[in-house]
Formats: sequence, structure tokens, C-alpha cells
Amino acid sequence: MSKNINVALIGNPNTGKTSVFNQLTGLKQKVGNYPGITVEKKEGICKLPRGVKAHILDLPGTYSLNTTSLDESLVVELLLNKNDKDYPDVAVVISDVENLKRNLLLFTQIKDLKIPTILVVNMADRMDRKGISLDVGAMEKKLDTKIALVSTRKNTGIDHIKELIADYKSISSKPILDPTRISPEYFDRLKKTFPQEDLYKLWLVITQDVNFMPIEKKRIQDATDFSTKSKDELKKLQHKETVLRYQLINNILKETYKVDFMAAKGLRASLDKILTHKVFGYLIFFVILLTIFQAIFDWSGYPMDFIDEQFAMAAEWVKNTLPPGVFTDLLAEGIIAGIGGIVIFIPQIAFLFLFISLLEESGYMSRVVFLMDRLMRPFGLSGKSVVPLISGNACAIPAIMATRTIENWKERLITILVTPFTTCSARLPVYLILIALVIPEGSVLGLSYQALTLMLLYLIGFGMALLSAMVLNKILKIKSRSVFMVEMPTYRLPLVKNVVYTVIEKTKSFVLGAGKIILAISIVLWFLGSNGYSEDFQDADRIVTERIENEGLSTYSKNYIQNNVASYRESAEAEGLAPNALQDSIEVLTQELSERAVAQEIASYKLEHSYIGQAGKAFEPLVKPLGYDWKIGIAVLTSFAAREVFVGTLATIYSVGSDEEETIKNRMAAELDDDGNPLFNLASGISLMLFYAFAMQCMSTLAIVKRETNSWKWPMLQLGFMSVFAYIIALIAYQILI
Amino acid sequence: MIQQILAYGTLIIAAGYLVWKFLLPKSLFSKGKSNSNSCGSDNCGCN
Repeated sequence: MSKNINVALIGNPNTGKTSVFNQLTGLKQKVGNYPGITVEKKEGICKLPRGVKAHILDLPGTYSLNTTSLDESLVVELLLNKNDKDYPDVAVVISDVENLKRNLLLFTQIKDLKIPTILVVNMADRMDRKGISLDVGAMEKKLDTKIALVSTRKNTGIDHIKELIADYKSISSKPILDPTRISPEYFDRLKKTFPQEDLYKLWLVITQDVNFMPIEKKRIQDATDFSTKSKDELKKLQHKETVLRYQLINNILKETYKVDFMAAKGLRASLDKILTHKVFGYLIFFVILLTIFQAIFDWSGYPMDFIDEQFAMAAEWVKNTLPPGVFTDLLAEGIIAGIGGIVIFIPQIAFLFLFISLLEESGYMSRVVFLMDRLMRPFGLSGKSVVPLISGNACAIPAIMATRTIENWKERLITILVTPFTTCSARLPVYLILIALVIPEGSVLGLSYQALTLMLLYLIGFGMALLSAMVLNKILKIKSRSVFMVEMPTYRLPLVKNVVYTVIEKTKSFVLGAGKIILAISIVLWFLGSNGYSEDFQDADRIVTERIENEGLSTYSKNYIQNNVASYRESAEAEGLAPNALQDSIEVLTQELSERAVAQEIASYKLEHSYIGQAGKAFEPLVKPLGYDWKIGIAVLTSFAAREVFVGTLATIYSVGSDEEETIKNRMAAELDDDGNPLFNLASGISLMLFYAFAMQCMSTLAIVKRETNSWKWPMLQLGFMSVFAYIIALIAYQILI
Repeated sequence: MIQQILAYGTLIIAAGYLVWKFLLPKSLFSKGKSNSNSCGSDNCGCN
């Protein structure tokens, strides 16, 4: 059986490598009109003509082989190591037809490593619209290679790439630039010292660390010992190499590539001027953010209510249909309530990712990155930190991985440490339920208070990230700064396929990823809330009944009965019910409600003396000053593993032993404190929201920070600082507002 | 009785999942280092 052909997909960021990879392999890696999507290598298998198979490797985007960051170094390490099992038999350089000049720099460098190299010119569907004409035949001759014109949007040219890969042996591996032209004297000595070695490979090995400051890299003993020039001198030679390559590329393009600038310019330039304007740029971004948050609240209300009601009905159905017993109770009060606590947020999560996806796909997100760069500088962050900080609004884990594009170690570390402050999607359920409970429904200038609060929470998270960066910048004393370069992709209409795919994938991963943990925690919590060892728990029925006989029902129960009777009386009177009949029916209703209230008081007493109640009571003194009772304390504690567990935990705790299957929001709204006032009021609600805005509360993020920093020191510092800070801010907020 | 078995069985599965997810080191379950999650060589600073 013949060996698979090893193929490396290489190219500048945002040229569509991942799209080509997906179309070749049939896989579905995330795609975006946004640089820095690929920070790891991804692999897949592609079937080629004549039964041949290729092992395709999608490598992180890089502008050249003169690496400046971790993700770029991955490309060079692979291309320099013939013993690597993934060493390519053929390299496929993906380029963007509008940025061919810059893309060809990388192409010529790879070709000079004597690897057969195919040039793929992507986004060919835009050539007509942009006034671009390309003489493919002439360019193939000049570059001594094979070229495939491709459009991943229109799904054209992929078969041509497959044919070229299958025939890779016919592609020339001759270098294009004589490296001795960079510095005849230096390369002459290099040749004499290492007569057996390839000169250009040696040059790349020697200069690999020139732009790469603090991180230890692989070294080839003999070659690095030879380095007789200082880093500055080597950098100058690198610049000279770049100039020589661009001269060569310019000459080739002059004869093969034409652009009618009259047609090419226009709308894009005008849009860029407005969208990246010092004043209007920020204003437009602000308005877009406002619209997004307003839409999240306005559009998702109905589906959320629908889902909430369905889960309440499902729990009731289970209780009424299945035989009574512990498993039926577990299903109705533990499992269904727990799952309901996360599924209810699907509409809002989906809308958030719909908007993020539209911004990415349209090319606007790169303009935001550019805008934010200006804002970042005073806080000591590089423009490259913007990508992780913006990605952090979805999830901190890929965002922290995206910091690999930052070449300066200290800037990268600061970005890793502050990214968890940005509002990830796991915070969204906590914010949404609390906002719905404690923020009034009114509006100002057509914008609801609830939407404005949500936006403010996002801004607080982002602001805190910047502020922490500034403090860390002072403490860690960063001396060198990195250069910020961001690809400005062409504006384009978002592809419905990509948008729908992103929304489905993100929502699915949120629900399934968080759902498994929430379900497991809900089950364990239900058991802890339904069992207890104390006499109080075992004897709850007798104790509560005696108390009610002596002291009467609690204030909450009395209010519950009064409110229900009042609303019944109102509707019955409106319907014109006779006074006698009304009186009789009210007596029956009061009796029913009293029985329900007694059952509820017994359930509540049992819960308080269950295992979880005992644990919560022990934890309560710590959270009491923040305005939380022991039930919220338990939810805060269990959500240490993952924030989104908070709502599921409360949903489970409040439904333990409950006979009435109410919606989560109603159950939370009905909770009272010791004085009979609503537990979730403005003070405790704001305190909780601020706690979640600043607290770490995510084990997976801690694990990824440990992996990326190779030390437990940083995640532990991060956890300690964020938890203490969140506690202090929540405490101050509650004490001021109460 | 069946209700008890089902309920406690579910509890054991749920508790086991949480222990596996958060308390046990992942290395106990992985067969070897996955290449797809690597960002480069072993000493590149991010492994």
C-alpha cells in the first residue's frame, strides 16, 4: 500500500487556508473573515485522483518564514525538520488574489527550501469586480511552479488543487533566489563551515531566534555556534533578504498581474475611512454594540418564555405520569429542572453568536481590532491583544490560545492574565436571569434599561481587563513592544452557510459542553437536597405542622395565599360571579392554597436541614455580607467549576420537594429573605452580577492558563486575585445599595 | 425498589463523571500525546 502524500497548507493569515482545508478534507474547522483563526496545526485526509490519498496539514497563518511568534514558529519548525513525520512532500501556499505581492514573499521562501510548492490563488471570484487580471501561464513560468485559481466561496478550483497535489512529483523544487545574494561574504563562510548543509535552511535556523525574544527554542548545535554576527546585524540581513525578494516579486508581477485601480478603489476605501475614523469609528461600534444587546433582549423573550414553560410542563407531566418514587422525583425536580436551567438560554446565546458571526464574516471585526489598537496602547497592551480580548466574549479558552500570536512573552502573559475578565458566554445566563429579576422593564430613548445593563456589564469586563493590564504592565515592566499588523479583509456579504454553521456549532458546544456538567451537578445536588442525617430533617413533617398549629403560617405563605385569592376574586368579579358562589369558591381555594403552603413549608424546612442545607448554612456567614442567603451561596460554590452552573443549581435547589412546577424566573422571584422581602432585589442582584463579572469561576480556563504559561503560579495568582477582588467589589456594591 | 436502583445508579454515574472531569488527572486516561493539540515542539514554552 502506498504512503499518503504529506501536504502542508501554508499562507498569510486570512487568505482562506482553513476554507481550502475544509473543502479538501470535508472537515468543518471554524472559518472566519478574521485573521488568527488557526493557531494550531489541524490535519485531515483528502482523496485525490487515481485512488491516491493525501494527509493535509492546515498550518497557522504566517507572513514569512522569519518568525515572530509561537504559531508562526510551528510552520518553520516543520519545514526545517525532514525527520518530522508531517514533513511535507509538497507545500501548498494559499494566497489572496488581492494581496498577491505580499503573499508571494512567503511562497518564494518556501520554494527556496527545495520543497515542491504549489501556488493557490484564492478568492479568484473577485478578480472581475476588482479589475484584476492574471496571466497564469506566464506566472507559472516565472515562479517555476503550478498555479491553481480557486474560489472557496464559489467552490471552484478545488479539483484542480487535487490534481496538482497528485502530480506533485512533476513540480519543480528548484530554488528561486540565490541566498548568497543576501551577503556574499557571510554566506561564503557559512558554506565553507558547513559544506554538506543547504545554505538557505542554515540561514533560517540561524535567524530563527532573531525576532523571538524570551522563549527557548530548538537549537541545532553546530549552526548556532557558527553565528558570528550580532542579532542586529542578522536582522539587517533579513531585511536585505526581504528587499531582494520583493524586487524579484515586483518584476514577476509587472509582467503577469494587472489591476485596474479605478475599478478596485471606491466603496471599500470610503467605508474604511468612516469605520476606522477616530470619532465616528468608535461611535459606530458603540451603536452596533447597543443594537446587539437590545436585540438579544427584545428578540429572545418569547422563545425563552416558551422553553421555560415547556420544561415546567415536562416536570409536571413526569410527576403525574410515572409511578411515584425517588427516581420520578429525581427526574422532575433534579434532571429536568437542571437541564431547563441551561436550555432556556439557547435563544440569547444563538443571537449573540449570530451577531458576532455577522461582524466577523463581513470583515468589520478586523476594523474593530484596528480601532481597539489605539485604545489599547495607553494600557500597555499590543494591538495583537485585541484578538484574544474580543474572542474572550465567546469563551476565554480559545481566546487564551489565540495569545500565541503575540511574540513578546510579557505582553502575552498580561493578555493571558486579563482575558478572563472579558464577558464570556458562560456569564450570559447568570446576567440574563439576574437582570430580568432586578432591573425594571422601562426604557430610555428607546433603549431598555435591561439591555443597557447588559451592555454596561460587557463594558465593565472589558474595562477591567484594560485596567488590570495597565497595572500588570507597571509591575512586570515591559521594555520591548511588538509591531502590530492586522489584515484588513475585503468587505463582503456574510455567507449564510458560514453564519448558520457558526451559530449552530457555538450554541451546540455551549449547551453540550456546559450541559453535561450541569446535569451531573443537578443530580448530585438533588440528592444532597433531598436527604439529610439530622433529626430535624427526618422529623420535618411533625416539627413544621406543630409550628404552624402554634404560630400559624409564615409571612411568605400568608402573602402567597392572599395574592392568589385577590387575583382570583378580581377575575371572578369581572366575570360576574354571584356573591354567594364567589364566597364558597374562595373558601375552597383558600383551603387548597393553605394545604399547598403547608407542604411548601415542610419542603423548605427539609431542604434547610438536608446535607446541602447544612453545607450552605456553614458557608452562609461568608456570603451574607454580600446579600446572599445559603442557597445562593451554594450556587456560587458549585459554579466555581463553571459559571453557567449557577442558574441550574438555583433551579434545582428551588424545585427540590416543590409540588408546583413553576418557571425558574418565578421561583427565583418568589424567594424571600428573613424579613419577608424579595431575596433577589437591586442590591443583591447588582452585587451578584459584579461578583460574576470579576470572579474567575472557571476550572477549564485555569487549566488552559497553566498549560500556556507552563506553571501553576500564574493561574493560582489569577484565581486568588480575581476571587478576592470580586468579593470586595460585590461587598461594596451591596453595602452601598442596600 | 426499581426506582431506588435507577436513582442511585444515576447518582453514581453523575458523581463519577464530575470526579473524572474535575478531580482526576487527564493523563490517566490519554493513550499518548495528541499531535493536534500541540502548538510546536516540547520546549516551545506552551506545552
